[in-house]
Amino acid sequence: MALTIEHFNKLVKLAARAFYDDITTKGDNQPKSSRSDNRGIAVVVLDALTRRQWVREEDLAKDLKLHTKQLRRTLRFFEEEKFITRDHRKETAKGAKMYSAAVAATADGTQTGKEGEEKVKLHTHSYCCLDYAQIYDVVRYRLHRMKKKLKDELENKNTIQEYICPNCGKRYTALDALRLISMEDEDFHCESCNGRLEVESDKLATQEAGDGDDNARRRRREKLKDMLQKMEVQLKPLMDQLNRVKDLPVPEFGSLQAWEARATAAARAANGDGSASDSKTSLGLGQLPYNGDTKVVVDFNGGESKGEDIKSEAETQKVLPPWMIRPGMNLTKEQRGEVKQETKMDEASTSTAAQYSDDKKSAVENDDKKNIQDEFIKAYYAALLKKQQELEEAAKKQDDLSNSHTFDNPSSSAANRQVGMKSKRAEDEEDDGTEWEEAPVAGNTSENYKVSDLNVQADDAAADDEDDVDWEEN
Amino acid sequence: MFFHIVLERNMQLHPRYFGRNLRDNLVSKLMKDVEGTCSGRHGFVVAVTGIEHIGKGLIRDGTGFVTFPIKYQCVVFRPFKGEILEAFVTMVNKMGFFAEAGPVQIFVSNHLIPDDMEFQSGDMPNYTTSDGSVKIQKDSEVRLKIIGTRVDATEIFCIGTIKDDFLGVINDPTTA
Ligand SMILES: [Zn+2]
Repeated sequence: MALTIEHFNKLVKLAARAFYDDITTKGDNQPKSSRSDNRGIAVVVLDALTRRQWVREEDLAKDLKLHTKQLRRTLRFFEEEKFITRDHRKETAKGAKMYSAAVAATADGTQTGKEGEEKVKLHTHSYCCLDYAQIYDVVRYRLHRMKKKLKDELENKNTIQEYICPNCGKRYTALDALRLISMEDEDFHCESCNGRLEVESDKLATQEAGDGDDNARRRRREKLKDMLQKMEVQLKPLMDQLNRVKDLPVPEFGSLQAWEARATAAARAANGDGSASDSKTSLGLGQLPYNGDTKVVVDFNGGESKGEDIKSEAETQKVLPPWMIRPGMNLTKEQRGEVKQETKMDEASTSTAAQYSDDKKSAVENDDKKNIQDEFIKAYYAALLKKQQELEEAAKKQDDLSNSHTFDNPSSSAANRQVGMKSKRAEDEEDDGTEWEEAPVAGNTSENYKVSDLNVQADDAAADDEDDVDWEEN
Repeated sequence: MFFHIVLERNMQLHPRYFGRNLRDNLVSKLMKDVEGTCSGRHGFVVAVTGIEHIGKGLIRDGTGFVTFPIKYQCVVFRPFKGEILEAFVTMVNKMGFFAEAGPVQIFVSNHLIPDDMEFQSGDMPNYTTSDGSVKIQKDSEVRLKIIGTRVDATEIFCIGTIKDDFLGVINDPTTA
């Protein structure tokens, strides 16, 4: 679920700031100067990745206004740190398009210019995404090692005991023990002078510059203790976050191919048209294409009509960041980031498999589908209009009580559907038509993506939803 | 850690062993010669498990001895740093205690024995907890962790610790 992913994202952000804050990724040949100091880049990159799923590295570089080379270095570093998974593949423009479509379907589908894309044939593109499962393990292991190292050193563990002969000053270690035992008594004896060896007072593994006097040892001990304490305090938020995500299902995007397939499938299901690139009207598809958890509770009634499906999708608004969500806010599930994925996926599963493999065959299906979808859309806009009118009336009637009216109340969905069904018969042709014209036809240029972008869609919806905004702010 | 490996050795055999049982004689001599030996490289040879190949014998000038190159499979035991072993205590003194795990000798110095165990001298020197519930003396079985090895050409000596989780006495001879 999206909330789960938020928890994991927080973990990533905390870990980034705790461990990678002052990491510099520099080419060896570059001179060290303040100009080329890129500390903090690692954190920025990781943060950016928490807002994305699979992302083409060129796109990420553009978004972050970084040089591709610089970004690659950072990404390679994080690949070694086991934070991210990367995938490289040679692809044609078609492959790139497929990815683009997938991106358009995700929440953060910030699409950058693609002009001239068609000319670029068979280029190796790299993609990357966060590997949450591994990050969780890596961070835990890192903390464990840090603690263990300090503790071992503090408790003098794993250090090899040293012995010294008071007569001749010869030194021995515990590894010599076998040669040092004598039959007469239970002491160790010097091999040269047979003097009784003394235990070299416990010394820390880290050499104290030759003369291990008591003060230096004590200082070292204090320092270790201090470090351990500081670590406990400073890394507490990280450890708390680790505990928080401990029992949560780990979000996984799967391999690049699998992810793309899912994302495009979801996009098609919503669009109802075959070509992947033609991702117009991503009609409120403001959700992640896949959330690693299919156990999504869809709290609609069993006999839901298709019209309602569309409605529920279209109602989707921008997912609010967690820090904006406060108790008592009147939000839809989508706004809270609780995604209703299954309705779409179900729809998709009927035809996407065929579409995916064979475009020609699916063309017929698509036409059918498109018709159905059109119907849905009509129904939805009619319902929306109706709803607005209702709200206006309601606002007039009740000023205070309007706060308690919940949009996301599952029980109200029945009423919504009623409205939708009713208005479908008395559908508003004009409204519908204009909406469709606005939608872009081809998904190749950046502008088109912008239009199908979630934000714009949300604005459109919000424009005639001013009532909603009002009573949500109350 | 145990390994099953193939080793080679040139065996010299006295002419009196030649005859029908030459091969058997060769193998039994091999076992006598190598089992229980230690090389720094492979560790202790625990047992010969099979013969891969016996090459052609070469008669040595003047002596009549014949040298056979033999390839044989064997189990070797090589202790490593960080490895957990179970061992018998062989000697206890105030510097710590010695223990044996098969052919390997291990010394555990007193600062790697838990702090709550005190040395008690006497007929049967031992390390005992203040409540007397845990005692390490000769013939006790302990589980220890190797923290250092000294590998010579013909000898491996280890030092260990029982100052860690799940280490220490696993079988007390007085209660068993
Ligand atoms: Zn001496």
